[in-house]
Amino acid sequence: MKGTQLGEFEEIVLLTIALRYDDAYSVVVVENLSQRLERPISLGAVHRTMQRLEEKGLVISRFGEATPERGGRRKRLFTVTLAGEQSLREARHIRNELWEGIPKNAFDHLT
Amino acid sequence: MNRKNKTHQDPPGWAERLLARITAPHIREEILGDLYELFQKRGQRYGYTKARLLYVLEMLLLLHPRLWRKQAKSAYLYTKPSDYSPPNPMAMLGNYVKIASRKLNRHKSYTVINVVSLSLGIACTILIFTLVKYHLSFDSFHANKDRIYRIYTELHTEKVTYSTGVPNPMGEAFRSGYSVADEVGRIAFFKKRVVAVSPEKKFEEDIAFADPDFLRIFNFPLIQGNPQMSLQERNTALITDRIAKKYFGTQDPIGKLLRVDSSLSVRITGILQNLPPNTDFHTEIYIPFSNLQEHSPWIVEKDWWLGFNKEMQCFIRLKPGISAATVDSRILTAITNKYYDKEMAKQFQFKLQPLSDVHFNPKLRGYTEKKNLWTFALIGFFLVVTACVNFINLATAQALGRSREIGVRKALGSQRGAIFWQFITETALIAGSALLIAFGLAYVALPFVNQWFDIELSLNPLTDTYLLAFLLFLLLVVIFCSGAYPGLILARFQPVLALKGKLSQQAVGSFSLRKGLVVTQFAISQLLIIGTLIITNQLRYSQQADMGFRKDAIVILPVPDNKKSKINTLGTQLSEMSGVENVTFFDTPPATEFLGSTSFRFDSRPKAEAFNISIKSADHQYIPTFKIPILAGRNLNPSDTIREYLLNETAVKSLGLASLQDVVGKSATINGRSGTIVGVIKDFHFKSFRVAIEPLCLTTWGEVYNSCGVKVNPANLGPTLSAFEKAWKAMYPSSIFTYRFLDEDIERFYKLDNMLLQLIQAFAAIAIFVGCLGLYGLVSFMAAQKTKEIGVRKVLGASAASILWLFGKEFFRLLLVAFMLAAPLAWWIMDKWLNNFVYRVELGAGIFILAILITLIVALLTVGFRSVKAALMNPIKTLRTE
Repeated sequence: MKGTQLGEFEEIVLLTIALRYDDAYSVVVVENLSQRLERPISLGAVHRTMQRLEEKGLVISRFGEATPERGGRRKRLFTVTLAGEQSLREARHIRNELWEGIPKNAFDHLT
Repeated sequence: MNRKNKTHQDPPGWAERLLARITAPHIREEILGDLYELFQKRGQRYGYTKARLLYVLEMLLLLHPRLWRKQAKSAYLYTKPSDYSPPNPMAMLGNYVKIASRKLNRHKSYTVINVVSLSLGIACTILIFTLVKYHLSFDSFHANKDRIYRIYTELHTEKVTYSTGVPNPMGEAFRSGYSVADEVGRIAFFKKRVVAVSPEKKFEEDIAFADPDFLRIFNFPLIQGNPQMSLQERNTALITDRIAKKYFGTQDPIGKLLRVDSSLSVRITGILQNLPPNTDFHTEIYIPFSNLQEHSPWIVEKDWWLGFNKEMQCFIRLKPGISAATVDSRILTAITNKYYDKEMAKQFQFKLQPLSDVHFNPKLRGYTEKKNLWTFALIGFFLVVTACVNFINLATAQALGRSREIGVRKALGSQRGAIFWQFITETALIAGSALLIAFGLAYVALPFVNQWFDIELSLNPLTDTYLLAFLLFLLLVVIFCSGAYPGLILARFQPVLALKGKLSQQAVGSFSLRKGLVVTQFAISQLLIIGTLIITNQLRYSQQADMGFRKDAIVILPVPDNKKSKINTLGTQLSEMSGVENVTFFDTPPATEFLGSTSFRFDSRPKAEAFNISIKSADHQYIPTFKIPILAGRNLNPSDTIREYLLNETAVKSLGLASLQDVVGKSATINGRSGTIVGVIKDFHFKSFRVAIEPLCLTTWGEVYNSCGVKVNPANLGPTLSAFEKAWKAMYPSSIFTYRFLDEDIERFYKLDNMLLQLIQAFAAIAIFVGCLGLYGLVSFMAAQKTKEIGVRKVLGASAASILWLFGKEFFRLLLVAFMLAAPLAWWIMDKWLNNFVYRVELGAGIFILAILITLIVALLTVGFRSVKAALMNPIKTLRTE
């Protein structure tokens, strides 16, 4: 089952949602990621990813306030769920393990 | 918000409205909000024009199924992922199959109709696929095939003629003067030469004289012998394994001697792998090009740029990166300018023909045109479509009867998807068994097709991945084309209405869709019928029309050696036999496919005529043997050299002379030889009906006679032929006796058309049959549905005839509509086809009327049979049900 498997893009979106705790919605994620990744990110891609995360149960969403800068429309605010946290930690754990496993002289030949 | 504001600081309204329309309701608000917010931010940062552009871009990037998918399985929102297990579609498969097989078993006639029509359609499609694939695969197995070209000749006189051959110095000139090609291989093909293993063991075989490069250009690998040495050394030969077995059986063929045309002895130094069937190069014996001089000095005797033979060909393999266009425009033009004077350079143009074109270019003796293949592919497609149409028609018609079942299923919690997949399973069962049957049918029919076309097709999906892929693809297409629509209809039923049995006919798809499908079916059948009728007519016209000469019971014998004494003796011997009326010697029979033409200067006119004239060389018996009428002057006098000419009417007209008598007695210079015009003959078709009659002259010229025509009495053919053989063999002991009939020869012009006709006839019959099956099914269904109505009508006093009309009028109308569609389309297609022929039948209304009558009768029989049964039913029985 697709369960807690995280794609790379899913992972950074999920991380961004965690980063902007309680104020995470698509526009924020788009802006954050565009800045950090230094490439334009489309709303569509982010939106789809967040939907997918929600279907996987890694985030949960609720409607926020309607604001004038949104033309009077409500935003959907996302929060990381327990399962979301778990899979983030797991992803980090795997990465850390990999990093620690790299021999000291692994990059020597590059210089 | 006022209007001015809106144009400035708001996103483009149309995009917003469009998005609002296509987005699923549960995400519409946030999406629009997000986009609006982004727009405002970008507007302030980059200006509103750019923001507007980005808005549209974002909208395009948003387009994704997720955008319009209805509420995602929201179960996730309320339950932890581990609690939720979505239904496994495979788990239901067993049940689907069980239900489907029960259903199909219960409605046997429905199943049979569907399986039969689908399998017939698919079988034809499989055969067509194999055929098309086979032809497309021709010579595709050569390495670097994209770089292989044949140099061909375009002769620009008053019209352009094409030849596969090139003047014999071309190969050498191209090889030594230019370095664009890796390999340049000259090759001269000779058909049906006598190859002797021993004086008693002789065979008739095609041979070729080739440069060593030829075998490096083409992938015809050696299985024995030294590839470096092949075709290098004089008086050697390469033969295929098949020929080796045929000549020497199990003996080792290497080092054995062959005698070719009793003029050349060659030693076998290599064995080639057997030729694959999908190549246009059929020759199985190759002799070095350097031996050509001894075998046929006339073809290479001089470095002659002015003449060429279609069998003297030149293949090249270009170096990588060199385009054919540059070779055409630069190098071949340079060759023309270098070797011809100004006048002739205009006439001789050389071009490259890609290897992939060799099989498909009729101008250059290709086998067929690609458009013929596509026609077949289209017919195959039509046949599958008709079969699918049947399926959809029957299934939607039946859907009403299954409304209860669907109702119950839905009430018990089946979702739309489940019902859809159940129906698809049912279709898959039908389509799968149809495919199996179809494959069996195709397998059985294949030998006949092979025989028909004289080819070697095979059907083995285990080794042939293309075929396997095609079969799977076909299966999927059939399943989804025919299953999806009825499946969707069934899945859409409202359970309450379905359970109450209150679904009206409208619920099972507008009846107009089914009408449309029936119309399509009829239109396809009619198209094929009209096509068949017209092709039959034209071919009958071509083959039976008066070609202007006598063609029946004329036997043609080859003359391997035309020394005057031999010809005279043979002629006398033959004409003294009983049952022989005339004997004539000539170079070509009255009708031939290929006949060159040459320049013509009339009388004392200073310059050659603007048109070219074809020459037939024949003795004085030609005219009486073929019964060609002489309109003015007299027949040729017996002679062995060119002295006298006979012209045809067209030639006289082309000269611009009013009276036929005017040319008689005048002199003429044709192909550089002058003589007297002694008479004018009536025009006859000396080529096929595809081309117009052109100027022709007839003259005596013993050197070129290669055939003997004998008019025989057909009553006693057997003994006459064996007497011929005896006399002929005594005269030419080292050759092999063959004979052919002139009328068969002419039929060969239309061989491809005849095959086309037979195939289309077969397909038309199948299309009509499949269409009728569908019609039958539909009518039975209508009858079943209308039992009560018919009962009531009968009780109220309706006659059987009026009830018949109840069924008939509907179908009659549909048929007429189909005819309206098919007739103009057929007219357009067939007119194009007929334009290939200069002498053609006209497209009369008769054929179209005949076509509609045929369909009408067939449809009436089908509909009538079932509706008579319905009309004659006892109303008491039908009304008492329920």
